[in-house]
Amino acid sequence: MKTDALIRALAENVKAVPRYAVGRRLAIGLVGGGVISFAAIMLSLGIRPDLLLAMQGFSFWVKWTYTISLGIGAIIVTARLARPDTGRLRHLWLLAVPVALLALLGVAEMSRTPPGDWLAMWLGRSWRDCPRNVLILSMPIFVGLLWAYRRFAPTNLRAAGAGAGLAAGAFGAAVYCIHCPEVSAIFVLTWYTLGIALATALGALIGPRVMRW
Amino acid sequence: MRASEDELRAMMIAGLDGDAAIYAALLSALVPLLRAFYRRRMSGAGDDIEDLVQETLIAVHTRRATYDRDRAFTAWLFAVARYKMIDHFRRSKNHCPIEGLKDILVAEGFEDSTNARMDMNRLLGDLPPKQARAIRQTRIEGLSVAEAAEHAGIGESDVKVSVHRGLKTLAARIMGERR
Repeated sequence: MKTDALIRALAENVKAVPRYAVGRRLAIGLVGGGVISFAAIMLSLGIRPDLLLAMQGFSFWVKWTYTISLGIGAIIVTARLARPDTGRLRHLWLLAVPVALLALLGVAEMSRTPPGDWLAMWLGRSWRDCPRNVLILSMPIFVGLLWAYRRFAPTNLRAAGAGAGLAAGAFGAAVYCIHCPEVSAIFVLTWYTLGIALATALGALIGPRVMRW
Repeated sequence: MRASEDELRAMMIAGLDGDAAIYAALLSALVPLLRAFYRRRMSGAGDDIEDLVQETLIAVHTRRATYDRDRAFTAWLFAVARYKMIDHFRRSKNHCPIEGLKDILVAEGFEDSTNARMDMNRLLGDLPPKQARAIRQTRIEGLSVAEAAEHAGIGESDVKVSVHRGLKTLAARIMGERR
């Protein structure tokens, strides 16, 4: 095909592009995936029976603050990586702030607990299931973000995949909070973070394959 | 004349707002820019470059939502172009054309030098090992007589005699083959 003919064909049907198209598309993918994750947890694990009571407690909000702040940070990074001229990612270290704060809280909790109870506090009742459930619940969100990326132009595909995986993992964990009865900070710090890290690694692994354009 | 960053950016924004005529003008204005971009960076044939220009135009079109109106347009454009070039290399790496291989080898003198080495090995293989080694070391590998003598653990005169006798035998044999 001649280049002139190509240009005529491309310019034939130009729809206007809204100013915040990238953010809007990411939000649609995120919310769409989140709704499916929410439906999945309602249909399988169910909400914890004492959710309303728990929502008045401190530990529930620790978990939500931790997962949602990680998720917001990750989605900002992911939005940057959606553009080809990303530039340098300078504020990446901010993603470590929620982790560090939760670790401080964990240390404070441990100092108030007799050392004999530390292991029980760390493993809780559900440490075997927690990372897997977080990973599973993050998958619909991950797929939603990949869908959004189909119109984007990432040039660092591994980083973009990892960013999408991190965002999906963190928001998947936030959804998991409505089921999970665990209360200790070191439980969340270990097992939630492990599930989120698995989602991030998965994203970094398959990003270069599925995000090519 | 080439369009400036400000002109291109204004055209891009008009295109994003849905102005098809300006958008077409923008894409046309990008063609010489992209051709120059790829020509500077690739030694490839003109077809390759034109393919890449077209691919990049399509990418500019389908990915235009990722252009941030507050940032430089050419930086965005060349980031897309660079990605397409890397992608092109990655894809063509696995499909290196082998049609031209014969011509390349002939041009590099590969065939002549290989044939010469094969003849030499055949001829030297017929000589006694001591003579063959003396000739190989002093006449092909470029060692001095003293070095070759030390290497083989024999006297210098022995090396000279071996070379002399070996070359004589070879000369006689080549004459015989010719005849």
